[in-house]
Amino acid sequence: MSFLGYPRPDGSYGTRNYVLILPGGLTSGKICEFVEGTRTIITPDYGGGRTKRDRETVARVLVGLGRNPNVAGVILHGLHPAMQYPELKPEVLAQQIAASGKPVEVITAEPYGDTYEVLVRGIKAARRLVHEASHVRRQEVGDEHLCLGVKCGVSDSTSGIAGNPAVGYIFDKVVAAGGIAMFGETTEIIGAEHLLAKRAANQEVAQRILTVSHDIEEKSKGYGQDIRTVNPIPANIEAGITTLEEKSLGAIAKAGTSPIQGVLAYGERPAGRGLYFVDNWMSMNSIFLGYTASGANATLMVWGGGGYVADTILYPSLGVVAPLIWTTGNVNTYRACEESMDFCAGTVIDGSETLSQAGDRLLELVRQVASGSCTKTDTLSFQEVSKVYFQDAAF
Amino acid sequence: MSEKRALALHPQDNLAVAAQDIGPGDPVRVEFKDGATRQVKAVEAVPFGFKIALVDIAQGGELLKYGQVIGRASQPIAAGQQIHIHNAQGQRA
Repeated sequence: MSFLGYPRPDGSYGTRNYVLILPGGLTSGKICEFVEGTRTIITPDYGGGRTKRDRETVARVLVGLGRNPNVAGVILHGLHPAMQYPELKPEVLAQQIAASGKPVEVITAEPYGDTYEVLVRGIKAARRLVHEASHVRRQEVGDEHLCLGVKCGVSDSTSGIAGNPAVGYIFDKVVAAGGIAMFGETTEIIGAEHLLAKRAANQEVAQRILTVSHDIEEKSKGYGQDIRTVNPIPANIEAGITTLEEKSLGAIAKAGTSPIQGVLAYGERPAGRGLYFVDNWMSMNSIFLGYTASGANATLMVWGGGGYVADTILYPSLGVVAPLIWTTGNVNTYRACEESMDFCAGTVIDGSETLSQAGDRLLELVRQVASGSCTKTDTLSFQEVSKVYFQDAAF
Repeated sequence: MSEKRALALHPQDNLAVAAQDIGPGDPVRVEFKDGATRQVKAVEAVPFGFKIALVDIAQGGELLKYGQVIGRASQPIAAGQQIHIHNAQGQRA
């Protein structure tokens, strides 16, 4: 047995049991205020005035969130004007989410009907779906039903030698069990892309890894910008990381040692099981949203921090529907914000634990959280803004 | 001047990461992943998590961590000195 998960009609297992209201916005937010057990996305950009490519990303994210195993049922409405673009129409999204077999309800206002009507119908539908969802019981399932996503943040020297390797250790375990593990941050493989390419499951994937890394470097040059002025970030340098290559080599330790099965676009669902690289953006407000849209039922942050704290360590569940487990490899950081940090791998540096001992401890924690235990930041009552990762300018 | 610890991540590395705050003149026991150890004397302070040179590195010389090149020395670096942005730079982008 690995964890207690909520069974879904498509054979996946949820670590949570939410009813999701889409898209984000005032009406969805008010429905959530009224109805316990609901979630919605808080985001400043719904896709209006965006290119078709970026609107397709929004659609992929909304559908992916709806299909996420942690979601029991979905309510969609079309009150936001962006939802009239063909790829964002609620009926179109609903059809794709409903393919997973879970209940999906579309609430449309009558022509010249009013917003309050949608609000009232949304609250009623949400209460019904939450009540129905409460009848689903957790079942004992194996690690093959874990789908994890990881990001490292404010990396310091401990990230590459303790924090990230501990996550890499559990990624190897989950992948070996038949589960899914996702890592990403394309700006953070520059200098280490040759090592990842060697681990690709086939030549096509290897080439794709090299291409996305090359493309992000070229994109920065195309803007007349040196990516080194963006990354490493000042906090990395303050904490002892000197070069982008050094940061990247430490960052890829979180990917473990398994073969890389594919390169996913932001919010894209993996076609199979195993380890995947996601071509995404390092912003924590963006990356966890992308992982949950790709199907992650639990997410992990590896915080360096250099022993200092930031307000970001108070961010709960940035993936909207999946718990976020906060880890660090830095004992000073852990001590500074123990009320938000779920796990510390700093023992690997002071020699009091081996990597496998720390890794086994982390895997057990992931199973506990997957079974319903709160992460420390789950005890907070607010939700931070999420940002879809766009490719193009807004018009 | 008690002995301090630093971690080297690959047998070929010419630098190590301080596992605790290291002071000027401190003897440092460098622990390699494969269990091997060696000694280096710190010539300046190297805070926890920062890098210490294990050997003399010429200007332009490769800096090896994880067995990979993480950048080059932008000025000569002596064994026991701290390695950071004042004497090293990356090669990418």
